[in-house]
Amino acid sequence: MINEILNSITFIYPELAVSIFLLIIVLVDLVFHKDKKYIPYISLAGLVITGILVLNQIGITHFAFVPQLSAVKKYGMMTIDPFGSYFKLLVVVTSILIIFFTIASEEVIDLKERLGEFHALIYGMILGMLVMISASDLILIYLSLELLSLSSYVLAGFLKLRERSSEASLKYVIYGSVSSGLMLFGISIIYGLTGSTNLYVINSLIQGPQINLFTLSFSSILMFVGIGYKISAAPFHFWTPDVYEGAPISITAYLSVASKAAGFALLIRFIQTGFTSFISEDGYWTLIAVFDWQALLIAISILTMTLGNFSALWQDNLKRMLAYSSIAHAGYILLGIAVLSNQGLIAVLIYFFVYMLMNIGAFYVVMLISNKTGSENIDDYDGLGAKAPFLGVALAIFLISLTGLPPTAGFIAKLYLFIALIDANMIVVAIIALLNTVVSLYYYVRVLKHMYLTKSEREQENITPSIGSLVYLLVLLIPILFFGIYFTPIVEFARSCVSLLGI
Amino acid sequence: MNTIPMEYYLLISAFMFSVGVTGVLIRRNAIVVFMCIELMLNSANLALVTFSSFLGDPAGQVFVFFVMTVAAAEAAVGLAIIIAIFRNKLTVNIDEINIFKW
Amino acid sequence: MENSQILTYLLFTPIIGAVIILFMKESQTVLIKIFGLLISLFAFAVSLYPYFNFDYTNPDFQFIHKVLWIESLDISYHVGADGISVLLILLTTFITPITLLSSWKAIDKKIKLFTMMMLLLEAGMIGVFMALDVFLFYIFWEAMLIPMYFIIGIWGGEQRIYASVKFFIYTMLGSLLMLVAIIWLTVAASKNIGLYTTNLILLYQQAPNIMLDIQKWLFLAFFFSFAIKVPLFPLHTWLPDAHVQAPTAGSVILAGVLLKMGTYGLIRFNLPLFPQSTVEFAPFISILAIIGIIYGALVAMVQTDMKKLVAYSSVSHLGFVVLGIFALTFESVQGAVIQMVNHGLSTGALFLLVGIIYERTHKREIAYYGGIAKLVPLFAIALMFASLSSIGLPGLNGFIGEFLILLGAFQSQVLDSWWYVVFAATGVIFAAVYLLWMYQRVVFGTVTNEKLNTELTDLNAREIIVLVPIFIFIVWIGIYPTTFLDLSEAPVSAILEHVKNYTFNFLY
Repeated sequence: MINEILNSITFIYPELAVSIFLLIIVLVDLVFHKDKKYIPYISLAGLVITGILVLNQIGITHFAFVPQLSAVKKYGMMTIDPFGSYFKLLVVVTSILIIFFTIASEEVIDLKERLGEFHALIYGMILGMLVMISASDLILIYLSLELLSLSSYVLAGFLKLRERSSEASLKYVIYGSVSSGLMLFGISIIYGLTGSTNLYVINSLIQGPQINLFTLSFSSILMFVGIGYKISAAPFHFWTPDVYEGAPISITAYLSVASKAAGFALLIRFIQTGFTSFISEDGYWTLIAVFDWQALLIAISILTMTLGNFSALWQDNLKRMLAYSSIAHAGYILLGIAVLSNQGLIAVLIYFFVYMLMNIGAFYVVMLISNKTGSENIDDYDGLGAKAPFLGVALAIFLISLTGLPPTAGFIAKLYLFIALIDANMIVVAIIALLNTVVSLYYYVRVLKHMYLTKSEREQENITPSIGSLVYLLVLLIPILFFGIYFTPIVEFARSCVSLLGI
Repeated sequence: MNTIPMEYYLLISAFMFSVGVTGVLIRRNAIVVFMCIELMLNSANLALVTFSSFLGDPAGQVFVFFVMTVAAAEAAVGLAIIIAIFRNKLTVNIDEINIFKW
Repeated sequence: MENSQILTYLLFTPIIGAVIILFMKESQTVLIKIFGLLISLFAFAVSLYPYFNFDYTNPDFQFIHKVLWIESLDISYHVGADGISVLLILLTTFITPITLLSSWKAIDKKIKLFTMMMLLLEAGMIGVFMALDVFLFYIFWEAMLIPMYFIIGIWGGEQRIYASVKFFIYTMLGSLLMLVAIIWLTVAASKNIGLYTTNLILLYQQAPNIMLDIQKWLFLAFFFSFAIKVPLFPLHTWLPDAHVQAPTAGSVILAGVLLKMGTYGLIRFNLPLFPQSTVEFAPFISILAIIGIIYGALVAMVQTDMKKLVAYSSVSHLGFVVLGIFALTFESVQGAVIQMVNHGLSTGALFLLVGIIYERTHKREIAYYGGIAKLVPLFAIALMFASLSSIGLPGLNGFIGEFLILLGAFQSQVLDSWWYVVFAATGVIFAAVYLLWMYQRVVFGTVTNEKLNTELTDLNAREIIVLVPIFIFIVWIGIYPTTFLDLSEAPVSAILEHVKNYTFNFLY
């Protein structure tokens, strides 16, 4: 047993590194009261190390923390596989980008005193996400989800003097606790039905005939509520716009990318490990006939993207608009899972990578502008194209990419999603997704319209971004344009990371 | 020992869960809402312990310890946020916390 | 199929020009204008090379340049041209310098951006006409949207923002539908050949073997997206807004080239890829085209705004082109191809003339004018010439196209009824009515509006230089169309032969 644990530890180096740096940050925060400006760099260093450790893991497949009992079929508490490593890498890269984001964000700079807490909480989130991505045991899933949630509740309300921020936080905590409560109840029922908390065991047990299908479907739906809340799928999305608008903008960007990515990774693992009986040669998953996951996922994803897109139409606050747009994107990504095939999974992986670049980019520009003007209202973007040419062009490219027009990477993401959908003969769904894209076009173009076509009534000074911001934006823009034109590398990388361990 | 059948435990657990969900939906005081959430978690705990005992598998009871820890942490975070809100608005009534369309 | 990179050079000429302009100073407006004009003239010169080296007897694509791009989906940068493409590429490179020269004075703000946008637009249009890879085609198709959006939105008239957004949403709807169709086509064809390919020439062989049910939907998806661009009745409602609000240069490009992409798409994609469905749907589409012809003409008749009148006349004229394509006879398709060029020239000229007079008075209402023949005789002559060309007077270009289309439609076995021709022919009569009526109200009579005396001045040297080349071609096509018809002869008969092969048991 001890040997097994010691052996398993070698496979969770990234998680260990994050835990160690979490402690270091807390200690530094305690020891150096006065000068906290080094803390962001410590957390950057920690993330770089974590990133390297994750990179080392790519290609490895292994079960960690295997119980002694499992001599017949191998399974463990955690599963290390290329799919998980891809998402971990995504989370780490997002975190690095977000740390730079906070360095430039005035909202956070103002809180010099509490910088230590801020980074410690971000590390809490990262640890939660990394564990969640690998977790293949319901206990671990629940705990990591809670770790992620608890840290993000606090971060959402971090600007405690701002009424909006604390209100957002309260909503987040109530919705979050309720949905995790529902999820926990679902877990308890699944445990009662199968007598195990491990997804692999559950998979082999529910294939038997003696399982009560109604109870199992009910508990699966309760599980889905918990995950659906994390990925802000409709109808569990109500918290999203409020929290995204009220939270500090760097945290908004972080929640919209990283915690969503972890949620999706969990959902994919839950469905594939827990409910798939076999994968055909051309990559289609056959689910155990418990209940129709595909119909549920399709219905939810269409609902999500339609609600997200139509609500975004009427938003005047850019942060809130981007929140609704991120709900809509969750709908598209969910569609990639609903295909239930490896091709859909490739599309999801590509989509997330691209989504990370463009969404963080859009939020970053919004942040830079609100640093200067103090406003996120769309009317304050009038004539921005002339006043801040670079920021204008950058935001335009991010928005065009979010719409999914060539030659940006957003187009590639949509392209592969559509290929997966059509290959599975889901033409009607593809058409619905397409009509949604046209709707989304309207509100993205509305921003372009304000930036370039409307003249500003007020005099504003020119906004020139600092060198650091310029580099940051270029780091996001260049891959968006490059992968928009030549996308073989990202597609091949996603293809190599598509395999999940098990089944 | 097993004189009380499993269904009784589960019925109580389901009842507690329903009370919790209903409370979350209809109560307007943020602190009461949190109490109801605690009720939901505890109903799940009860179910876990029941199953664990009847299946003879310790994992469920271990899980309950974790859940209790999480519940404590959640309550701590939730109360802290409620205090922050109270400082700003001098109320903990959810209906009055409505800058965003609730 | 000799390998040649001439088309790539042609494609990149305006792009490189735009990049160079990016690094010029905003204040050097004259230099930017001259440089933009020179680049577009140079592109025209380059586009003459494929014309003079064209092999008339070869129906295949020529000047092919192919570079593999994305291996896993067999997407490649694959360009080439047949006679139809060469004709439309020439039209593009011919119209672009004219529009740049025509907006010399009319565009007075953000000249740098304007010139760049025009050059990028030109590159996009050239790209569409020579792409031999469906994916590449889609990229160029989309890439043109953004420059056009800005051209209408920044330099347009009073309601430019509304018009530009409407234009954008409409065309996006069409093009996204096309994207789904392209993916579906690729996926469906891969079931036969076992691997994905977006190579158009391969798809020509594979697509007709796809199950007929799927083909029908594919045909409709492609048709719908092209029909929005054409625009075919009842999808035309974006056109009047976009035309009226766009600056003159934008209107000319829009009428002259952009609309042709729709009809070009029909010939290049719908006919050869889905021959069975083409034959099946031809009567319905022809009816829509005829409704468009008559509707466009009738609405044009009651317009009080000159630019709107010309815009609706486009709806009517392009109805002819669509009718010609779906009559599926050699004469009619040839007529449709030449009519695409004709419409570009004559409607382009009309928009230029409306723009010229608008520059002076800032009024487009017909009622504002009257009796300007004495004030601006040269302008009156030019407007007469352009109107007659648009009406289809024998001896000018419009006649050739419309005559061939009607002749072909009359013989068509697919349509198989002469009622089509009867109704379509009324469109010609209506065209004469609305254009000549407009001409009479604007040009003849006595000067009723005193302001005109001071405002109006006759055409200046620049404007004459802009108009004369168009008029030369209008007469050339009218008198000796063989020069142009010869170009498209081989590919048109090859496409029709292809359609015939697959639909033999159907109707022929």
